[in-house]
Amino acid sequence: MYIKDLCYISCQTTFDSSFFETDSIDANAIFVSAKEPDYTPYIPKSLLRRMGKGVRMGIGSGMHLLNKHTNISGIILGTANGGLEDCIKFLNQIVDYNEGTLTPTNFVQSTPNAVAANLALMTSNTCYNNTHVNSGLAFESALIDAMLTLNEVEGDILVGSLEEVTQANINIDKLKGWVVDTETRLLHLVNGNTSGSLIGEGAGMFVVSHDKQQALVEVVDIHTVTTEDINSVWKVYESFLKNNTIEEKNVAFILGRNGDEKHNINYNAFEQQFVKGNSIYTYKNLCGEFPTSISFGLWLSVHLLNKKIKKESIYKDVSMDIKQIIIYNQTYNNQHSFLLVKEVL
Amino acid sequence: MELEDLKSRLKLQVIEYLNLIDIKPEDIKDDEPFFGGSLDLDSIDSLELVVLLEREYGIKIENPQEGRKVMIDINHMAEYILANKK
Repeated sequence: MYIKDLCYISCQTTFDSSFFETDSIDANAIFVSAKEPDYTPYIPKSLLRRMGKGVRMGIGSGMHLLNKHTNISGIILGTANGGLEDCIKFLNQIVDYNEGTLTPTNFVQSTPNAVAANLALMTSNTCYNNTHVNSGLAFESALIDAMLTLNEVEGDILVGSLEEVTQANINIDKLKGWVVDTETRLLHLVNGNTSGSLIGEGAGMFVVSHDKQQALVEVVDIHTVTTEDINSVWKVYESFLKNNTIEEKNVAFILGRNGDEKHNINYNAFEQQFVKGNSIYTYKNLCGEFPTSISFGLWLSVHLLNKKIKKESIYKDVSMDIKQIIIYNQTYNNQHSFLLVKEVL
Repeated sequence: MELEDLKSRLKLQVIEYLNLIDIKPEDIKDDEPFFGGSLDLDSIDSLELVVLLEREYGIKIENPQEGRKVMIDINHMAEYILANKK
């Protein structure tokens, strides 16, 4: 599967081309909000006024690509929480108004598939439309779905992810120990060993195809596993390595390090066991931690393989010609995934 | 409540409930049609207006025919509220 085009809305200036030419945005915070672009070229005002942030980001980034790519045979997204703020508003209204008449907008916009459905409606696309919601593996599932769907359809597929920060998920994730207790520097996130991480948000969209003409990179393989037994995770990784031809001298790694002491244990073990003098890059010190943040890792890998390097993403720099990238991410210490991305030959 | 005061308040509530971006109360004329005019509201907005009447003025519109006579413009809505407010 080849990536032909991509778009990302994050707390960095990723929506336009300025990200690689400007300093990275830092923050000293518990969460970082996305820098939203002007959506009016992509979304009619009459629709925009009803959209929550996650929906806006998803549709804005999706329409940015759909305006350029018209041969779309499927829209497949991944989101752990969807339009969570609208969902909480809707649930609160049930209580506040004693289960009386409720406003339809919050309900309509809060369903996780609202983004994929809106994109289809806005472009009159009647092809395959699906949204995966399995938490920290939602985006990976969307990618696997896209790989399988490309076997059955002609044309391109829009695959992507979206996630929004709300007070609700900060509160819930804090109780679970996934959010830092005190304000933390975003750009220094991966060097930390804190309890929890700095929360982020964002929407990433990719146009994928079977056709390698005009492709930016190839997504070769994706393996996922849900387990708390780390030895089982390493077995999955060994099987991932067996399935693919990895050129050790040309492979770099992108790790989902987020500074959380609970995650650091696994990333340290992975590095010790499997990384032998290769370059390592990170991305959560640019976008923050959220369940579908691996899409930012994939976005970064596309740029890395096309020789665009952001200095803040360098974790271990080894002079090498990068032709392949392995992305390893874990979410909530029990959802692990491995992606192999390589340059187009 | 005086009719003119009610209309001013209603305009603010319509903007808030429908999240009308970039529209100020003074932009909405009393006889500006909700549907088919420059406000360009749609069927979801009509449901939001029904909820507005119920929450803010205790008026329930259960008959769709009645709703059509009320959801015309600010004038019609304000007069209906004055006549039916509980």
